[in-house]
Amino acid sequence: MRAPATDRRPWTFYVLAAVFTLFVLFLYGPMVCIYILSFQGPNGGLTFPLNGVSIDWFGALFHQQRTGDIAGAFSRSISLALIVLTVTVMFSLAAGLAFRRRFFGAGLIFYVAIASLIVPGLVLSVGIGLGFQMLGLAPRWYSSALGAHLSWTLPFGLLIMFAVFSRLSWSYEEAARDLGASTWQTLRYVVIPIVFPGIIGVALFGFTLSYDEFPRSWLTVGPYNTLPLEIWAMTTNITSPALYALGTVTTVISFVVIAAALSSIAVIQSHRTRRRVARERAIKTGS
Amino acid sequence: MRLAIPAKAVPYLAVAPLAIVLLFFFVIPMAMVLVASFFDYNMTGIIPTFTLTNYIDLLTSRTTLELYLETLKFALIVWAITLVLGFTIAYFLAFHVRNPLIAIGLLLLCTVPFWTSDIIRMISWIPLLGKYGVFNRALLELGVVDSPVQWLLFSDFAVVVAYVHLFTLFMIVPIFNSMARIDRSLIEAAIDAGAGRLRVLTEVVIPLSKTGIVLGSIFVITLVMGDFFIVKIMSGGRSASVVMAIFEDVNLLFYPPAAASAVLLLIIVTLIVSFILRVVDVRKELMG
Amino acid sequence: MRKPGEVELVHCTKYFSETAAVDHINLKIPAGTYCCLLGPSGCGKTTILRMIAGHETPTSGEVKIDGENVVGLPPVRRRTAMMFQDYALFPHLSCLDNVAFSLKISGVAKAERRERARRVLARVQMAQFADRVPAQLSGGQKQRIALARALITNPRVLLLDEPLSALDEYLRLQMRSELRRMQRDLGITFIHVTHTQPEAIALADLVVVMDQGRIEQAASAQDVYTKPLTAYVARFMGGQNVLAGRVSGITNGVVVLDVPERGRIELPASDPMPSIGSTAYVSVRRDRIHLTKQGASETVNAVTGKVRTIEYQGTWVKVTLEGATNEDFVVNLPDTEFFADPVNPGHTVQAYWKSLDVHPLVGGAGRSDRPYASGQN
Repeated sequence: MRAPATDRRPWTFYVLAAVFTLFVLFLYGPMVCIYILSFQGPNGGLTFPLNGVSIDWFGALFHQQRTGDIAGAFSRSISLALIVLTVTVMFSLAAGLAFRRRFFGAGLIFYVAIASLIVPGLVLSVGIGLGFQMLGLAPRWYSSALGAHLSWTLPFGLLIMFAVFSRLSWSYEEAARDLGASTWQTLRYVVIPIVFPGIIGVALFGFTLSYDEFPRSWLTVGPYNTLPLEIWAMTTNITSPALYALGTVTTVISFVVIAAALSSIAVIQSHRTRRRVARERAIKTGS
Repeated sequence: MRLAIPAKAVPYLAVAPLAIVLLFFFVIPMAMVLVASFFDYNMTGIIPTFTLTNYIDLLTSRTTLELYLETLKFALIVWAITLVLGFTIAYFLAFHVRNPLIAIGLLLLCTVPFWTSDIIRMISWIPLLGKYGVFNRALLELGVVDSPVQWLLFSDFAVVVAYVHLFTLFMIVPIFNSMARIDRSLIEAAIDAGAGRLRVLTEVVIPLSKTGIVLGSIFVITLVMGDFFIVKIMSGGRSASVVMAIFEDVNLLFYPPAAASAVLLLIIVTLIVSFILRVVDVRKELMG
Repeated sequence: MRKPGEVELVHCTKYFSETAAVDHINLKIPAGTYCCLLGPSGCGKTTILRMIAGHETPTSGEVKIDGENVVGLPPVRRRTAMMFQDYALFPHLSCLDNVAFSLKISGVAKAERRERARRVLARVQMAQFADRVPAQLSGGQKQRIALARALITNPRVLLLDEPLSALDEYLRLQMRSELRRMQRDLGITFIHVTHTQPEAIALADLVVVMDQGRIEQAASAQDVYTKPLTAYVARFMGGQNVLAGRVSGITNGVVVLDVPERGRIELPASDPMPSIGSTAYVSVRRDRIHLTKQGASETVNAVTGKVRTIEYQGTWVKVTLEGATNEDFVVNLPDTEFFADPVNPGHTVQAYWKSLDVHPLVGGAGRSDRPYASGQN
């Protein structure tokens, strides 16, 4: 099936390719409608057709006080997501390294992490909210909500690290040791550079899972909302295309962040390649 | 500066941060929920005593059964659809796309919408499915129907569409991962032995993708059973779910019954998950 | 001044749960020798290598390098360097940075360590690959980089873990002579683990044949090949037929053996003398045997049998005779001798040899009595 005798594709390929294309349309179609509708004219309704084209509704986002504090929610969401990203990367990487060897309690921690993935987010936020209430602590986005988000991103990060480390051959670390590297040096110069793509994966997951998280933020953010909660407030009374405008804006933001992350990797990679190519050329010309 | 950490202690130190976070923000809150489910309550607040009334009310109420049936109904339908769709897509990417880089690229293409909030993606269906939405206009225009189709939006159909839209990816990724690990020479050996494409699928690919299928199924089912807002919005308030009931109790600050309901839900989800894991293992024994 | 790089194992043992991977080994490898640890998988050779390197710790016993017990010392302090079986080249670094890695660890400045790395790369003829990454190299090229990376640390002992196994035949032979040449040039001790007999006898000054955690024989290549100590070594090295029989008599300096289904074997008596009635093992070199089609004319030091297979090997022909026992009786005839009077499968022939060519296996059966399925001559 993978390497057929001839290069002609079986008929199933075309069927499957069609299914795939339809699926992609299915995924992207609705979003595209939202993007288009955010440019709805000032008198237009919530659905098609477009009654003129304008950016009025984007403006309405920032002016409307009724719908709450978009800018504030936005900054909180970004800050929270960045903190979650950092903490998730550090803790998952450390835990992933720990799990490479057997230790007492490894199985238990693993199952707890999996359980944390499966538990419905709302139930967890109820628990955290309750817990904070009983302890007399006030829930805040940087404490209770942070913890709630981490309980979701850390297991994901751990699973990704498992996948990454299971493919990492032990001989790299042994070779580093053989050449005199201490444990820290091995980590810094060998292990982390090699698993770097996995780390980026964990970082991206951590950021987006937190940025878009709704159920777990529900009872844990305290008095000031994160962006998904603001969106929810707008959703419960959908009255204007300002909601679509908000959708477009938040999507653009996540795209920008992820594109920035990925392109920074690409820049580092091409920088390395460029230096290498320059060196090779220098050697060839004998300079 | 050299820290003299004994080698044996290192794994424990390394896993400690993650373990501590999970302890404080998962284990203890769950324990809180369990404890609260035995509390009593009245109009003014929670009364910390031990009582089973919450559970009794929960288990004897007809609503509970109806809610669970409703939620399970959605869970099963969505699971079936995402399984078939997810498997097909993963199969296409893993076996029909020749260049592995392109396969990863196409997979990334599918994950990009994931970067937008669930809520936004959910409401993005409204202008499509509504009475004056794109589909209805197209159908009217083509003359397929005389008047707008009502059941496209604010119905079970809409709920299922939204679930499939949001959760199929959770099926695709684990299955694709399992498929990518299948040794291609096993497939060639099967073809050598005379198996046609269908036999190869049933005898080689599906058994070896079991882990991915199990993982994906667990994800999808628990996500559907844990949902409270998708079903509410997309059904227009007509359908309810178990977690929605919890949500509403919490809104009214009725924590104890909400907690009891949460505990019951967790027990049922755990049973379903262990059932799935059991079923797969049994099959493994039968197939040898 | 004593040459550095003498390695000694004293009562060295390594247990992995219940099994002894290495069982009370005593071995002395002189400084500056090329030593091959030879044996099948699981015999303990790699474990010994790793214990010398410092990647495994012996359960008991000592590992001495130049008289100093190094057990407990990290690899870098032992001044040993290891070449891993999968090369273990760091995929994210260029070849130059791979080679310079140990210098970076010890704090050498960038410009200087790169310069030194370049010089070592030139020594292994890989200077033009300095800026490539390992993924862009072939197997043989990767091996040279791994070698350079090991050598830059100026070790007194170089440890090689099956370095030639992953290469194709042509490259293997090429790299073999390069390793030999390099060892002679550098003058340090090379300890090379392999499961391939021709490789071991081509390279080594000292061949250590191992099985199940014990040393069967440690001697020069020539001695191991022509004067194996035990039946195991004889079978493993190939090139010998092993016969076991009961000593039926010793007269006039000749030992007579009764071998079931093979007849009488006679060999010159030598110390240690076997006792009458005991079981003794002997070996006969396969290339010292001749064939005849004319009946069973010899009564002693001869085997009659039907030819089972013929294998042409260029300069010689391998003739395998059937027997009722498990073990084949193999004759390696020079091609001219074979083609002067060729035999075919199914022919009955008699193989005969001189009693001087019968070698007593004084060590007996050896630790394991496994018949070694040899793919060698």
